[in-house]
Amino acid sequence: MQLLINAIASAAILAPAAIGFTLIFTLFRYTNFAVGAFMTTGAFAAWGMNALGLPIWTGGIFAVLFGAALLLLSDRLVFAPLRGRSGGTLLLVSIALSVILDNVIRFAFGTQIRAFDLPLVPPLTFAGLRFTPETLWVIGISVVATLAVGALLTFTRLGRALRAVADNPSLASIRGLPVPRIEAAGILLAGALFGLSGTLVGLDLAIEPNLSLALAIPVIAAAIVGGLGSPLGAALGAVIIGLAEELTVAFLSAPYKGAVGFVVIAIVLLVRPQGLLGRIVERK
Amino acid sequence: MDAYLVAILTTAAVYVILAMALNIQFGLTGLMNFGVVGFYGVGAYTSGIVTETLGQPILIGMAAALAVGGIAGALVSLLSVRLSGDFLAIVTLGFAETMRLVFNNEDWLTRGPRGFLIMTRPVIDGLGREASAWFILGVFVLVAVLAFVLLNRLAGAPFGRVLRSIREDDLVPATLGKNVLAYRVQAFMLGSAVMALAGSLYAHYVQTITPDNFTTQIAVLVWMSLIVGGAGNMKGAVLGALVVTAIYEGTRFLAPLLDFLTPTQISALRFIIIGTLLIAVVRFRPEGLLPERTRRPRQAA
Repeated sequence: MQLLINAIASAAILAPAAIGFTLIFTLFRYTNFAVGAFMTTGAFAAWGMNALGLPIWTGGIFAVLFGAALLLLSDRLVFAPLRGRSGGTLLLVSIALSVILDNVIRFAFGTQIRAFDLPLVPPLTFAGLRFTPETLWVIGISVVATLAVGALLTFTRLGRALRAVADNPSLASIRGLPVPRIEAAGILLAGALFGLSGTLVGLDLAIEPNLSLALAIPVIAAAIVGGLGSPLGAALGAVIIGLAEELTVAFLSAPYKGAVGFVVIAIVLLVRPQGLLGRIVERK
Repeated sequence: MDAYLVAILTTAAVYVILAMALNIQFGLTGLMNFGVVGFYGVGAYTSGIVTETLGQPILIGMAAALAVGGIAGALVSLLSVRLSGDFLAIVTLGFAETMRLVFNNEDWLTRGPRGFLIMTRPVIDGLGREASAWFILGVFVLVAVLAFVLLNRLAGAPFGRVLRSIREDDLVPATLGKNVLAYRVQAFMLGSAVMALAGSLYAHYVQTITPDNFTTQIAVLVWMSLIVGGAGNMKGAVLGALVVTAIYEGTRFLAPLLDFLTPTQISALRFIIIGTLLIAVVRFRPEGLLPERTRRPRQAA
């Protein structure tokens, strides 16, 4: 049971970023490997506000806004001029961007490990299970954010427009949708989710400048397992990855938690090579 | 200064070999291997284990690195070559990260983060310090030249032409009766084996390898070499590796001008420069310095 709680906490951290990742993928059909670096940047943005003495929730809000702005900026500078290039080219560029962001953080903050300034509270015990208040916050915020994004995509005009553009941008444009503005909205939303996930990382774990790769692989794995393109699938994928990670820590070996994402992707590809990904793989 | 130049050239030779290996995989066949450091590291540790733990001569170590690199490449590619670009890239990245975890945690095999000490060097006994450095450089250049001659021939041979056609459109060679999957696996194996060989050379040169030697940043340098030089062109891969090494090592000379920065900041700055240049090259000159030459059929009269 305790394991289940830890797994849900892990999933809660991954889910918003996995949804953001899948959103970018459906809109532009490329794998943004810099997702880990965006999360790390978000964690540092929140930490920076917190270190200035502001309460942690302002840090979180700042991280969300910062993540949205940063993703939009990087899209304008880096990805937008390369629209239409192959997915592989954009992936390479996103890895380069990830290295740049990592090193900007290293440049600005050094290599020290940071943590939010949180009051130390003894863990709550409930029916023999131990919760830290942070874990509850992480799970709560993530569930609310996931449901909110799901509702946004399903029920609102913007959500319908986003899905239409993702499905077929030229058709959406003919139907009179302002495609560039909708794409920008999707980017802002994804960036905000990256920032949020980053804050959750900071709440649950320590913040390190070289977290990026360790974050990017499980996030991408969650999105792939859940079936790329489906936000609900991404959230579900996050739960599967979280569970797999905790099972590894509990029964195999804690240091290999980092390999779980890779192994899960490998298994998915072995069992269903055409995959949960289905038709998307056919594209060049 | 002299010793420094020899050291840079020796490192450059390793990057030249890595870039040529990646050229087989990505340049010719279009397979995106972001796990370059995984195979490079596997080669380094294999060679270290064979020469130090098992006490075999260095040539056996290099051969073992080639073999293990090839096997690892076959396994990774069998898992994923049927998938298009991005997913292979993610799987290979995951492979490299998993390998780094293995190097870090399997202390009994790799001595973990403290580093694996390697006494065996590719030199003949009785040379002085400086002469040894030159000798090692000579060995590395020899291996790089051999690799260039072989791989360049292969790239121009029918085998290489099939690889190129697979990269462009795998339906065409498949229709002509070529086993596309087998060609992809072979190309990936060959590239991975050569990467492992480069790792073996590197290990016997630096003599202490730690998991930190095999991070994704190194893979970015190799990718940058190939993209800058010109993917698909073996000479381009060589030129690109030399240019990237020159930029990377050249930025070292910025350090005295920026003495108000800490060493960590300077190292970070170098990678910021490298990453930015890579994005700029992809955007403004995607074909690289030496674009791939393709033979066109003669025009009908």
